[in-house]
Amino acid sequence: MSLTELFPDVMQLPRADKFRLMQFLVAELAREDGVSLLVSGAEYPIWTPLDAFEAAETLMQMLGNHRTAAS
Amino acid sequence: MNPIRFPYARAVAGRTAAGELAYLPINLSTASNSLDLSGLLDTGSTVNVLPYTVGLALGLIWQQQTVPVALTGNLAKVPAFGVIVTGQVESFPPIDLAFAWTQSTEAPLILGQVNFFMEFDVCFYGSQGIFDISRRVNDR
Repeated sequence: MSLTELFPDVMQLPRADKFRLMQFLVAELAREDGVSLLVSGAEYPIWTPLDAFEAAETLMQMLGNHRTAAS
Repeated sequence: MNPIRFPYARAVAGRTAAGELAYLPINLSTASNSLDLSGLLDTGSTVNVLPYTVGLALGLIWQQQTVPVALTGNLAKVPAFGVIVTGQVESFPPIDLAFAWTQSTEAPLILGQVNFFMEFDVCFYGSQGIFDISRRVNDR
């Protein structure tokens, strides 16, 4: 099926479906180019341990003990 | 000693331009092993983070660790222990770096506030894709 044959059907689609079709095409092009897009509802890892103050305190104590033992 | 300048770099080939971040070439060593690595300068990270596989490659033994540390975010799900290794950046003198050694194999090597940013001053020039590093003032 050619694009010319597709156009009449695409134009008949409701607005929401046209939007979904556009999203699909963008995602498909990105996938072909090896670019991963963010997907709504998916979970993505953020490795930064933000506000890990307890861990920071523990590491500071370890460093203090280490330096005391070394001196 | 004068600051040393580094370019931003990509962690993984093929990512977008926004994937260029401040990755610092750093040598980490223990009594048994030494590795040339690339650590992400992460000012939002409260601590340094050592990935599991890197710790193993440095000769650390998970079962022998005795100081658990509680991380946050995605890393809160997996156990971590505090470890101290020697870190050296370029020609700066080696220093003790304390890391949260996570069991995660996916986390990057993170250089955070405790204690990387306590030891080094870093100036980011994000628009130019470069950053300068120098030792903290009282050690220059």
